[in-house]
Amino acid sequence: MTATATAPATRTAEERAHGRSVLRGRLFMALLFVAAIIWIIPMVWMFSLSLTPNEILQLDTTNLLPQSPTLENFSDVISVGLTPRWFLNSMIVTGVTTLFTLILSAMAGYAFARIDFKGKKFAYPLVLAGLMVPKEAMFVPLFLMFAEVEQHNTFHALALPRIAAPLGVFIMTQFFTAIPNEIEEAARVDGATRWKTFTTVMLPMAAPALTALAIFTFVLTWNDYLWPLVSATQREMFTITTGLASLQGNFAQATELGALMARGVVASLPLLILFVIFQRQLIRGISIGSGGKG
Amino acid sequence: MAIALDQKTPEVTPSGFRRWVSSDTFSAWAFLLPFLVIYLLFLLYPVIQAVIMGFYDWDFLDISDRTFIGLENYGRMFWGTNMTWDATHIWQWRLVGLLGIPLVIRAHRRGSVSRTAMITLVVGFIALFAVAMGVHPGADGRWYDSQFWGSFGNTVLFTVMSTPAIVGLGLGLAIALNRPGRLVGFLRTLFFAPYVLSVAVLTLIWAFLLNPTTGLVGAVFEGVGLEPINWLNNTTWAMPAIVVTTLWWTVGFNLVLFLAGLQDIDKSQYEAADIDGANGWEKFQFITVPGLRRTTLLVVTLQIIASFQIFGQVFIMTRGGPNGATRVSIQHIYESGFRDFELGYSSAMSLFLFVVMVGISVLQFKFFPEEA
Repeated sequence: MTATATAPATRTAEERAHGRSVLRGRLFMALLFVAAIIWIIPMVWMFSLSLTPNEILQLDTTNLLPQSPTLENFSDVISVGLTPRWFLNSMIVTGVTTLFTLILSAMAGYAFARIDFKGKKFAYPLVLAGLMVPKEAMFVPLFLMFAEVEQHNTFHALALPRIAAPLGVFIMTQFFTAIPNEIEEAARVDGATRWKTFTTVMLPMAAPALTALAIFTFVLTWNDYLWPLVSATQREMFTITTGLASLQGNFAQATELGALMARGVVASLPLLILFVIFQRQLIRGISIGSGGKG
Repeated sequence: MAIALDQKTPEVTPSGFRRWVSSDTFSAWAFLLPFLVIYLLFLLYPVIQAVIMGFYDWDFLDISDRTFIGLENYGRMFWGTNMTWDATHIWQWRLVGLLGIPLVIRAHRRGSVSRTAMITLVVGFIALFAVAMGVHPGADGRWYDSQFWGSFGNTVLFTVMSTPAIVGLGLGLAIALNRPGRLVGFLRTLFFAPYVLSVAVLTLIWAFLLNPTTGLVGAVFEGVGLEPINWLNNTTWAMPAIVVTTLWWTVGFNLVLFLAGLQDIDKSQYEAADIDGANGWEKFQFITVPGLRRTTLLVVTLQIIASFQIFGQVFIMTRGGPNGATRVSIQHIYESGFRDFELGYSSAMSLFLFVVMVGISVLQFKFFPEEA
């Protein structure tokens, strides 16, 4: 009894300083926690509105928890308008773009990283120079190219310019360069061709880098706005991003807010799911893709 | 003798073709070919095409209808009627530009910029900011395309407002969240999550969020007894509102890059500083800041280049309004080509933007090569 009463008094200055810093650390974390919650409110709000009946939204749109929650807005997404078609378009374009980016980047990256060949000193800087070309500033000549051969409003017109981006090659070259020589030499001594070594030895080893590149490419392609806006002008060929953008402003805003927000949720769902599962890979993709390190 | 025999035996000496096929050079180019074809066709060729188109009056509605007009597109961008020169014209902007000169000189003193490069840059800065930017239409005169400069000015304004905010907050959050633990990891996820939304979802949320009658921001204002502001319809507030929207959307990207940069700093430096009795601020100043130089340069460069390409947020939320207050370069390029059907003129403007962006990244890596 007396011991506990006197304990605080006998604590050394150091212990008290330690206690204060623990307290300050906890307070700091609490502040950060509140900030993060505020940060995420706009997204929570979108989900809440998408689950609220439109009649209620005409009176009040400021609830962060859905009032008398319903799925009618989501059935509206399926039955009214072209949203399912746009979603499918986005799936096709994004899937094809990601797949081809992976294959072509891995092949080119392997050649640049592992083979000494005539012309490399010219070809690699040429590809790196492409990193400087801002995609958003070159859409006019690109538009003309596809217009001349009348290929707009097609899936390949949507996918090809993105596949041409050299970032993936850069990432894969960096990755393959870091693999020690012995592994490949062992396979080559056994008489394997370059192609065989590439597919059976190098590609499996590159799985982590490929996953990171895949997630990163998927996110960027799904969210592409300017090129699909320019190239796919028929409503049936819109992607979910350009389609959703086209609905904003046209929609009878006050009455259909819930249905509109439900479309926003549908448009973000694939990426949010990917993000929850592959957060680590996406973050890795960002840091190697931007800084050239893994 | 043996050698002579070998040469006569076709099985031992493969034919020229087969030897070529099995050579490293052949296999390398075979690996490269699929990518290179698409790359040359859809990335490099458009740049050349843009240069060519810039010299033409090229009609969108009939793409075979084009007339060579030399530099007329560029004259239309950069010139006007009754042009005069004035030392004080938009002097605030020019003064800020001239502040680059001390930076160049400092970089030269530290040995990262050669003498010739320094003199070229200083002369270039003076020519651009002190001389060229003083040119403007006099009384009764006007720019041939005032929207070109208006939209470019808005793009620069957006870049100047958003870059320090996004980079600063990204750095602050990274330092705060650079510690182990499940809770911290969860908070990192929350701050990063908006980055995976597409621009159309972003604008959907924020256009309604900022709406004075339906939005949460208006509700908060009413809650504390203030009149809600119609942010996106107000010439003063529209651009800051776009900046805040973009900040919310992309800060997670910078947070990730800064976290990676922080993890590269040698932990033992902090331990050594602890032993020396350094406080938190000193550790930040002498270990964290120098350790993050490379990352910061990278983040700032990426941020500026991304900011110059801003389009979606503005185009969907305000259409460049109110009264052109948020109209940006890409929107002007887009509308010149696809609303006014002038592909040549919009190509010329694309090239201008391209040159500005390349110039900025070259300058940054020239100023700080030791960190790059």
